[in-house]
Amino acid sequence: MKNIPLALIFCWPIISLLAQTPVPAPPQEMPVYIVGATAHLGNGQVLQNSVIAFENGKITLVRTPENLGQVNLSRYKIIDAKGKHVYPGFIAPNTQLGLIEIAAVRATVDAGETGQLNPNARAIIAYDTDSEVPPTVRAQGVLLAQITPQGGLLSGQSSIVQLDAWNWEDAAYKTDIGLHINWPRLYSFNWFQGTTNRNENYDKEIAALETYLKEAQAYCKNTKPDERNLKLDAACPVFTGARKLFIHADDAKAITTSVQLAKRYGITPVIAGGRDAGILTDFLKANNVPVILGNIHALPSRDDADIDEPFKLPVQLHQAGILFCFSMEGFWQQRNLPYQAGHAVGYGLPYEQAIAALTLNTAKILGIEATTGSLEEGKDATLFISEGDALDMRQSTVVQAWIKGRQISLDHKQLELYRKFKIKYERKE
Amino acid sequence: MTGYQRTLRLMALWLVSWGALRLSAQTTFPINGIYDQREGLYAFTNASIYTAWNQRIDNATLLIRQGKVEAVGQKVNVPAHAVVIDLKGKTIYPSFIDLYSDYGMPAQRQDAAPGGRLFGGAVQRTTSKKGAYNWNEALKPEFRAHEVFNPDDKAAKTMRDIGFGAVLSHQHDGISRGSATMVLLGEAAPHELIVKDKAAHHFSFRKGSSRQDYPSSLMGSIALLRQTYCDAQWYKATQGKEEYNISLQAWNDLAGLPQVFEVGDCLEALRAAAIGREWNVQYILKGSGEEYKRLEDIKKTGSPLIVGLNFPEAYDVEDPLDARQVSLAQLKHWELAPSNPARIAAAGIPFALTSHGLRNKADFMAQLRKAIENGLSEQDALKALTHTPASLMGVSDKLGSLAPGKIANFFITNGNIFDKDTKVYHHWVGGKPYVLKNIDVPEVVGKFSLEATTPTPGGQLWRYDLVVSGTDENPDMKLMLNDTASVKVKHTLQKDHITLSFAFKEGQNRVRMSGVINGRQWSGRGEDEQGRVFTWTATYTSPSEPPKDVKKDDKPATKSEPGPITYPFGAYGWTTPPKPGTWLITNATIWTNEKEGILQNADILMRNGKIVQVGKGIKAPDATVIDGTGKHVTSGIIDEHSHIAISRGVNEGTQASSAEVRIGDVVNSEDINIYRQLSGGVTTAQLLHGSANPIGGQSAIIKLRWGYAPEQMKLEGAPGFIKFALGENVKQSAWPGSDRYPQTRMGVEEVYNDYFTRAREYGALKASGKPYRRDLDLEAILEILEGKRHITCHSYRQSEINMLMKLAERHGIKVNTFTHILEGYKVADKMAKHGAGGSSFSDWWAYKYEVYDAIPYNGAVMHEQGVTVAFNSDDAEMARRLNQEAAKAVRFGGVSEEDALKFVTLNPAKLLRIDHRVGSLKAGKDADVVLWSDHPLSVYAKAEMTFVDGIRFFDRQEDLRLRADIQAERNRIIQKMIQEKQQGGKTQPVMGRQSFKLYHCDDDEDEMD
Repeated sequence: MKNIPLALIFCWPIISLLAQTPVPAPPQEMPVYIVGATAHLGNGQVLQNSVIAFENGKITLVRTPENLGQVNLSRYKIIDAKGKHVYPGFIAPNTQLGLIEIAAVRATVDAGETGQLNPNARAIIAYDTDSEVPPTVRAQGVLLAQITPQGGLLSGQSSIVQLDAWNWEDAAYKTDIGLHINWPRLYSFNWFQGTTNRNENYDKEIAALETYLKEAQAYCKNTKPDERNLKLDAACPVFTGARKLFIHADDAKAITTSVQLAKRYGITPVIAGGRDAGILTDFLKANNVPVILGNIHALPSRDDADIDEPFKLPVQLHQAGILFCFSMEGFWQQRNLPYQAGHAVGYGLPYEQAIAALTLNTAKILGIEATTGSLEEGKDATLFISEGDALDMRQSTVVQAWIKGRQISLDHKQLELYRKFKIKYERKE
Repeated sequence: MTGYQRTLRLMALWLVSWGALRLSAQTTFPINGIYDQREGLYAFTNASIYTAWNQRIDNATLLIRQGKVEAVGQKVNVPAHAVVIDLKGKTIYPSFIDLYSDYGMPAQRQDAAPGGRLFGGAVQRTTSKKGAYNWNEALKPEFRAHEVFNPDDKAAKTMRDIGFGAVLSHQHDGISRGSATMVLLGEAAPHELIVKDKAAHHFSFRKGSSRQDYPSSLMGSIALLRQTYCDAQWYKATQGKEEYNISLQAWNDLAGLPQVFEVGDCLEALRAAAIGREWNVQYILKGSGEEYKRLEDIKKTGSPLIVGLNFPEAYDVEDPLDARQVSLAQLKHWELAPSNPARIAAAGIPFALTSHGLRNKADFMAQLRKAIENGLSEQDALKALTHTPASLMGVSDKLGSLAPGKIANFFITNGNIFDKDTKVYHHWVGGKPYVLKNIDVPEVVGKFSLEATTPTPGGQLWRYDLVVSGTDENPDMKLMLNDTASVKVKHTLQKDHITLSFAFKEGQNRVRMSGVINGRQWSGRGEDEQGRVFTWTATYTSPSEPPKDVKKDDKPATKSEPGPITYPFGAYGWTTPPKPGTWLITNATIWTNEKEGILQNADILMRNGKIVQVGKGIKAPDATVIDGTGKHVTSGIIDEHSHIAISRGVNEGTQASSAEVRIGDVVNSEDINIYRQLSGGVTTAQLLHGSANPIGGQSAIIKLRWGYAPEQMKLEGAPGFIKFALGENVKQSAWPGSDRYPQTRMGVEEVYNDYFTRAREYGALKASGKPYRRDLDLEAILEILEGKRHITCHSYRQSEINMLMKLAERHGIKVNTFTHILEGYKVADKMAKHGAGGSSFSDWWAYKYEVYDAIPYNGAVMHEQGVTVAFNSDDAEMARRLNQEAAKAVRFGGVSEEDALKFVTLNPAKLLRIDHRVGSLKAGKDADVVLWSDHPLSVYAKAEMTFVDGIRFFDRQEDLRLRADIQAERNRIIQKMIQEKQQGGKTQPVMGRQSFKLYHCDDDEDEMD
């Protein structure tokens, strides 16, 4: 197994030393039939020795040999995946992938608009399909992402993209799906005193958010406003349920306060971050609020906290029956998203639940579960094959991946550089 | 009227006219008017007198003349012309002395905003003070408190009222604060008040009003002090021939005085003392109030202490969610801080008490009583307020006790000064009295017959009983209309005058009376409710009946015992320090990192802190056996690049080279991340300076000996390292407008070239035997040239990596380690040839321009080319799962699992040149061992136990018990705080304080403001 990655690296159809992202894959021409793999369906189930088939970009078979029936194998490109694993494409929620190329170079950062209230800002149009970053991420099995704006009180609107596209229009999987509230911090750190004190502006900021919702709700009832207000318009689909409300909050009081606020306007929000969700499971359950977990690779929130406070949060939410998924802050970091799930498994989360929290749960929270997020007949053929366990860094080698049946290139800038300097050392220059 | 009262009355008259008088026989000042110098000869008789903290003489006389004590004792000859004050039943104490004050000092400059690049201002690189002063503005040894001392009557009264008669005053500004002056708290010209002009030299770690950028870190403050000691020695040796420097001259002038150092926490106390040790200075430490947290270590420094009584208020913790902000350490500190003075006393450390730090000075006695309730003896308290401060400042011949020849500084009370209800009547300072409270209070308590008479003879208006209860000083008065009905009488009492008023019925007009007191007989004139004039008398008839059903104050039934002191202080600390055990782990998969490779079903034995044996079938009857079946054992993880456990600043990035600063001076043993990293199997870390400048500071290599004091955490005998840095950080690319040299990679090379060249010349000067100024910056760089100190260089781009290797070779040295080294894969062959190691991130990239070509295959490529490769964290969080990062070398580049594990164990040990002690499992090496639940490179593996030196510093089962303890202890103290709040105690809003700040390489804020 040790040699497989190397073999793969030199077998790509496109061996190029040009610094360009790979060419997007063409539509699926031939049906594909993957046989023998352990298939993790994303819905909590696993099939050993499975058969997965797809054509025209849709999954047609998810079976075991016992209930397979008659299949005309000659139509298919057959892939023997014995000993390997098949997963639905992982979904990275709440990320600035494609909005940031180099974090410290301001010219390459399009993650947050200036000002406090930017509900109308749309992340989708800033998503850069030519960024060098997404190819490194999809090579780890992350095939879909929620491109999410940051900052201010109302950060803007997120969209779902697939990670193999010519431009943002064909990257778009579902646009403007969510409005993002960046809930103010209850406590702020005072660097000079080294203390954490209550944020003095907290009440004022909450009032500003409440005013926005109150006025938007009234405004949206007027079907023909004399003057359009772009900022208030952005909230109208939220009141009808056509657009989700994502509230980014970590502190327990911030979570309860924000959910109560949303409820007053008839909205069931999604909590993103949710560091303290573990002590609010009853509240979250009662209000049917799902959670996009922030990095679980995080330090405990306080000196006194359990040393594994972030690591055990996923299993706590699972045991409480709360719908949750994993996320990873940032952009390039998305390639490590699967390992967060792996780490949670080490702390008690059942393996298939960890997969669900990278796939179907994520799709449900983002509102795209009807067409993607699991290996089910009729859904998009967005999936990948891994040599080993995709959640364990020592085995997770993605060998083939498809987005809507299109087999995507797993090459990227970093592999190119690797090949380039391999050549240097082989030549012994 | 008794004779006693007459005397006191006389005295009271005297006191009124004291202000203008002088006690000294002669004065330089001309007098406008008639010369009125008096002898000030007073005899205080029949008093209980504390002549010293440990000596009380009853029925004694104190005789003072011209501001000095002339005699004290039971057999004192009172001259006939002395004013005699009978103090029967009263007590005299020597005045207290406060050694930490800025009384009478000029108001300090309060700049609106700090300067420096963080705030968009221009960077100030040298002093802004005009004249031949020190280059660094935070050093003000030339400041002389006595030259600017200006008495402040209001502040003096505040201090006198709480018992202080003298203070040591200095300007609280800067790292060297110049000399302090010992002054009396009288109301007079400064000429009469200064007891000792230059009494002490004061220090702190804080820059104060200086807006100069250096130092921006605690380690920079320490380095600045050390360098200044060097400079002062050189200045003395060269007798100012090399340069004239007012500050260095002044520094040397103060050398013979007591040296007082203010510290901000218990670790700073140890740091200050360490500076003192190096320069043979025994500092008196102005403590932080948390000395009890590391008392044994502080005691070992031999430093006397000056300790405050500003104990924290309870937090308002009724809301359980808000209460989470407050850490166990904060909760425990609230509970234990009042016992700090008692614990210091019990440890036998000489200490003085100060009122400094109290928001309200009037709380001083109440806080002192709190300290006494928490175990401080009254005698120790008195000693710490009189004898100790006087002797620490070398003024015992003048202050601190009452003996012939000493300054007449004392106060008079009606009893034990430490009792809640005790009153202070007079405070005499320098032989001059200041009245807090009249001693001559008329005796008014009792039953009086109050009679009102019309001006017509025989025309009695009315007669009632007037009942006066309470105390003479604070009486209650009521007029008995019959046996049961009474009305309240308002009154004022002034020496021998009294006024009374009442209404026969509530809401009606009042009867008003005014009169004089003659013993138990009062008489005067009044006007009734209709304005008619009458005369009245009140005559004492009998004592008033004592109030019925006197209830004693119900004190809280049980005073709950405070919790234990833990090491470190707070969550997950030890109550007793752990000891090395004899451990035998059996039947495990053991990754030896030696030629034996990975052993299946093998055993490992640890004893006396060392690995004794690794193999099969080991027997050790004395060992605690741990079943390792199905588990893995590895050497402890070594983090080659860490910034945990560092106090107040990881960068001294104010100059291109800060080779003089040492992380070892600022190790923070209290950082909870030490424990958290033990839970990830980390046992050793190199604590590095940041990357703000080309030549950073010296590293500390520590073992994660959780609970040990900073010095004990350092790996004994570890070689010296220093941080270098290249690229965007040192160019200050992220600071628009920066003008610090260098601004390009070209300049970076020249900085090194310049420093290496100068250091070599410096070495030659040292070797020549000529006198030289010891330069701590060049000393460290010279050590590099001599091969005694090794370079760890922050680096990204291949061009600069190559540059430094070539430059080093030109200067005859090697770069030991390139850290980060994200483009190492481009020059791995050159690194191997040079002999440099690479300590990298597994897969970080794209966070700045110079890491845009970083690849996760970097470690594998360097490894294949023969470079010693480590993966490091540079991050308190990631360090907890470095085993997983090592696994990425398997995923990206196909490194063998055995070699990948070495990336975080043996290889960093080699890079740190400590592989003879740690990094592999072999007999004779340190017992730094981790027991893993699973394959150590698996994402699912957890460290179950972590041993350092054979001590089990982390055990996942024990951890569960500690969590329960933390919850229980938190709850206990929270309930206590709530109780205090309900009983009317003061509270403060919740506020969190962590045991650490998170640092990364490029954190460069000024922490010394």
